[in-house]
Amino acid sequence: MEQWLTQVAPFLSDNLIFTPNTLAQYWDGLVNTVQLVFISLVVGLFLAVPLAVGRASRRVWLNVPIWLFNYVFRGTPLLIQLYIAYYGFAFIDGVQDSAFAFFINDPVYPALLAFTLNTAAYTTEIFVGAIRATPQGELEAARAYGMSAATAYRRVVLPSAFRRALPAYGNEVIFMLHASAIASAVTITDLTGAAYYVYARFYSPFPAFIFVALVYMLLSFVLQGGFKVLETRMLRHLKPA
Amino acid sequence: MADSEIPLVVRDLHKSFKDVSVLNGLSLEAHEGDVITLIGASGSGKSTFLRCMNLLEVPDAGDIIVHGEPVAFKQHNKTREPASWKQVERIRSRLAMVFQGFNLWAHMSLIGNVIEAPIHVLGVPRRQARERGMALLERVGLADRADYFPAQLSGGQQQRGAIARALAVDPEVLLFDEPTSALDPELVGDVLAVMRELADEGRTMVVVTHEMDFARDVSSQVIYLHEGRIEEAGAPADVLKKPNSPRLQQFLAPRF
Amino acid sequence: MFDFQGYGPRLLEGAWLTAELAVLSLIAALVIGLMVASAKSSRSMTLKSVATVYTTLIRGVPDLVMMMLLFYGGQIGMNMATDGLNAWLGTDMFINVNAFAAGVVTLGVIYGAYMSETFRGAFLAVDAGQMEAARAYGMSPWLAFRRVRFPLMMRHALPGINNNWLVLLKSTALVSIIGLSDMVYVADQATKATHQPFLFMLPVGLGYLAITAVSELVVTGLKRRFDVGFSQAT
Repeated sequence: MEQWLTQVAPFLSDNLIFTPNTLAQYWDGLVNTVQLVFISLVVGLFLAVPLAVGRASRRVWLNVPIWLFNYVFRGTPLLIQLYIAYYGFAFIDGVQDSAFAFFINDPVYPALLAFTLNTAAYTTEIFVGAIRATPQGELEAARAYGMSAATAYRRVVLPSAFRRALPAYGNEVIFMLHASAIASAVTITDLTGAAYYVYARFYSPFPAFIFVALVYMLLSFVLQGGFKVLETRMLRHLKPA
Repeated sequence: MADSEIPLVVRDLHKSFKDVSVLNGLSLEAHEGDVITLIGASGSGKSTFLRCMNLLEVPDAGDIIVHGEPVAFKQHNKTREPASWKQVERIRSRLAMVFQGFNLWAHMSLIGNVIEAPIHVLGVPRRQARERGMALLERVGLADRADYFPAQLSGGQQQRGAIARALAVDPEVLLFDEPTSALDPELVGDVLAVMRELADEGRTMVVVTHEMDFARDVSSQVIYLHEGRIEEAGAPADVLKKPNSPRLQQFLAPRF
Repeated sequence: MFDFQGYGPRLLEGAWLTAELAVLSLIAALVIGLMVASAKSSRSMTLKSVATVYTTLIRGVPDLVMMMLLFYGGQIGMNMATDGLNAWLGTDMFINVNAFAAGVVTLGVIYGAYMSETFRGAFLAVDAGQMEAARAYGMSPWLAFRRVRFPLMMRHALPGINNNWLVLLKSTALVSIIGLSDMVYVADQATKATHQPFLFMLPVGLGYLAITAVSELVVTGLKRRFDVGFSQAT
């Protein structure tokens, strides 16, 4: 440890880029990224459950609008969605003086809106796929034991669908983490924004971006590991004994 | 007889996978018009032996000589490799193989399968290849199936098609790797009939098979392999009728 | 129909740039993906580990960060290289990293990693006997790849390629952040100037949906092409 420190110390003291100041910048970026991604994912997840149930239903007035919502949000770049949320409200006359002023004064809110709806669309499709893959026998068994359609859905279909959806949802979470990098395009200082700031200030792209790339990678691996653990726990019943 | 006059000479082949030795010094000479059948229990090395002949497996030691041209080998990181893959490709195109699982190319029509190697490996003009291919399909009784895809044909039809594909390269020796083992019993007859015809017209063939009737009636030589060695070899009348080795006697004994 | 307040031609140019960028990046990604997939299934441990490190790195880092690194870093790296050469040869060169080329290279490098996974799975899905027959009839490795492995593999790879393509298409929007005038960039500029976000952003969104619809047709055609011999099974 001692030896390691004596080797690292001169590097830290010699380098002009990773000063306490810039490290604080990166830290703020990390906090912003994690907050943005976490809140969007949680809210998106809660929206996706009813949306998936509606999309899986046979009622046309219910599943067609949800299909359209998903189609548009999955078919266009998140950046466009972000710009629409960001500029769309800012340029409405009178917003500045209304109760919604907070929404345009901090770009985090439009970003949250766009990210949440986007992840809700993707998550809905993941869930729908999982719901449709429910083995017919499981549903029949539930009905045979006298469960109502709603109870069978709540007690049998959804729990088993959520488990099946876990691997794909894990990918969506990492996808969202990476996609959140565009928050820097609407002046939010997230991780990527911090890296850009450091790059612009020192005109040294390699340390600035490689460092932030490592941070993203670390976050991705932690998330991946977390989902692996969750999968082995929740999908235990699918593994051969 | 000089090696150059013999279509295929194999001398003292050795081959092991990891630490298991599969071939322990196997030799064979296929003269013009010979039909050599390789028989033996599964695991006796007969398929590996056949696959070594066209270098689908590379033997650890031993020679393979096609019409006097020996395959050149070199040592590379302690494993033996052909010195020139170009040479191997040329030799392979002279020894056509018929597989147990047919291995017709699934994305090509039957006639497409037959003309593929003549056009792209041997450089035969397309029209000529097609004419000859159609004649071959006629021979194996599949002219009306020329434009079908393998998945649309029965196993027996696929295997007869695969034989037409093999004949299309005008091979000096035909190699058959258990050609009827993957077929339903009622389809075996058609394939064997085609193979008998080929033997009758003097084709040089090396056949790995479990069909003892075919071995007895058609072959000029039967080789019985056991644990990668030639346990007994000779004319079918001797080997199959009066086996010396107790193991061969047991192998030939009726199972029921 | 719409009054684009004079931005119409620039929007069209932007749309063309988006389409060009997407198609060229797709080609780059397919080539890189095939090479990396071959490296992964090769017997050389060095090739294998290089390929694995590459895909792991790419998949852990956001597209935008990768793009900024290659774009901003690419120029400085190029300057360092030319400076070194200049000092050595006594010349005075300067190579400007072209933003469009940087975009194609970046997207190609990123999606090449994803494509390689698709191709690797597709390679494994091809029955080994098909390649064995190709070798047994004296085909050279390249001929066997071209005539047998590639057409058979594409059937399995097509859905994955289509998925990656759709993600890639949307990722092209990121080049607007590094200053390339694709349709998102034009829409962003126009919005800032006219304060009419919906007028510009919605048609651009529709533009992406339109490109997707066209590519859907191409994919259906290709699917039919590579399904030959399989879908007609009796």
